Amino acid sequence: MARERMTLLLADDDHTIVDSLAPFLERAGFKVLVVSNGAAALEKVQSHHPDLIVLDVLMPRMDGRETLRRLRHANVWTPTILLTQVGEASERALALEEGADDYLNKPFDPHELLARVRAVLRRARPGERSLSAAWLLTAGDLLLDRRARRASVKGEPLDLTPKALSVLEYLMTHPDEVVSRERLLTAVWGWEYPAGTRTVDTRMAELRRALDDDPASPYYIETISGEGYRFIPSVHGEG
Amino acid sequence: MVKKSWLVLFLIALPLLSGAFVSVLAQGFFQPVPVLVFKIDVGMVAFVAGVIITLLLLSFYLGGLRIERRSQRMLERALKEAELGRRRFLRRLDHEIKNPLTGLRAALVNLQEMRGTEERQRAAANASHAVDRLSRLLADLRKLSDLEERSLENLPVDVPELLQEMVDAARSLPAYGNREVNLLISRVPSPFPTVRGDRDLLGVAVYNLVENALKFTTANESVEVRALEDGRTIVVEVADSGGGIPAEDLSNIFEELYRGSNARGVDGSGLGLALVRRIVALHGGEIEVRSRQEEPRGTVFTVRLPVSKR
Repeated sequence: MARERMTLLLADDDHTIVDSLAPFLERAGFKVLVVSNGAAALEKVQSHHPDLIVLDVLMPRMDGRETLRRLRHANVWTPTILLTQVGEASERALALEEGADDYLNKPFDPHELLARVRAVLRRARPGERSLSAAWLLTAGDLLLDRRARRASVKGEPLDLTPKALSVLEYLMTHPDEVVSRERLLTAVWGWEYPAGTRTVDTRMAELRRALDDDPASPYYIETISGEGYRFIPSVHGEG
Repeated sequence: MVKKSWLVLFLIALPLLSGAFVSVLAQGFFQPVPVLVFKIDVGMVAFVAGVIITLLLLSFYLGGLRIERRSQRMLERALKEAELGRRRFLRRLDHEIKNPLTGLRAALVNLQEMRGTEERQRAAANASHAVDRLSRLLADLRKLSDLEERSLENLPVDVPELLQEMVDAARSLPAYGNREVNLLISRVPSPFPTVRGDRDLLGVAVYNLVENALKFTTANESVEVRALEDGRTIVVEVADSGGGIPAEDLSNIFEELYRGSNARGVDGSGLGLALVRRIVALHGGEIEVRSRQEEPRGTVFTVRLPVSKR
């Protein structure tokens, strides 16, 4: 408790959600500012400089997407979590394009939001462009071109299915973070699959084969038993 | 529209008119009525040919009109059916939401009014159970609508491997305590041909069928999954010796949110089989079910998928 309390800006037009989430986040030790539309969020960011923004996508006056675009355009790299309404694949892809650091589908468990908030804050380097907003990611010899949907090692292109590539993308934008299978599922697949954990494991095996990464002594991806996966090397983002 | 059909009628009658004209012309204008004299000449042939062609054209025209009217009726029927289906769906959705919502309300009232810690905790647990049910329903609805929009992966899928994986996943759920599921796959001559498609979605289909079979059987009854192929089609069957599905429900069980009389009060979103049917259709396959409630009882779901071409 020696550290100063972090400030969160919560932007959502639904009062029942905000009224319940704000006290919950405050109990977790944050100072919470609440606004109900995008324009107000922009003002609050300028006046209060929050440490993190939780932004709902569908809001009156200015939606979350437009708000985020303007922030990033003005070179404001405050870490942002987008609350998306529909579990659409395109929506998730867009969330990346606009430089969200993470996204969460409604309805979500408040504990899940808290976990994401903490993870994003831990990852954040104040004032710097986040990995989630970078198009080219490198980790050692591994290069991921997110726009072209291609990955290569030492210039050799990797033969990956789109799903495996998205898994790699999610891991590389969340390096040194234990990512659970459930989270990969909702982020990459969009829905919770009934046999979801196996679904993830299958793609992970494919990814490791392509990367020639030995699960027993991994260079890239480590299995944290009972928890999930962790991308080990540090990642550098560009553009 | 009226003008156009007059023109068509005129065109149809044109051979008749021209036949009559030619026959009159051939006999000269001032001869007695040629038909009464009955002799085979050029004029007569032209007249008869005209009559025949006109009759043919007329029958084609009327037949075409009938087909058009019939397809119009079919279209109307399909539209009406779709509208009925939509209303049925909304009614069922209303029903599915009503129950957990009622539970949630009651739990919240208890939470506000009760003072005992234990009571309050029970109320909170009930509320969260109701919320889980609603979330599951929403998640499955989302899957169904997502299926219509997403682009499918189109890669070779190893069916035996997928079956094994999904069977293991379903039987290892706590509710089924690792019950035995027979998995039969023809291994000779190997290898088993692949299906082209989206492995994850096909997995959902198989999983839902296996999970369903486990849900509607007890530990004393058996569940079997088998795969066969004939070079063109892969047949996957999920069979159980459970209580069976009432005959009157059989034709409806693939409908969204339909609950058969034996499935009331059973956990589930009511969308599992609808999802299966949609996924199979997206892969160019088909699904059918047969079931008996008298001995030998049981249910068999049969999925046919086209083998991927090399």
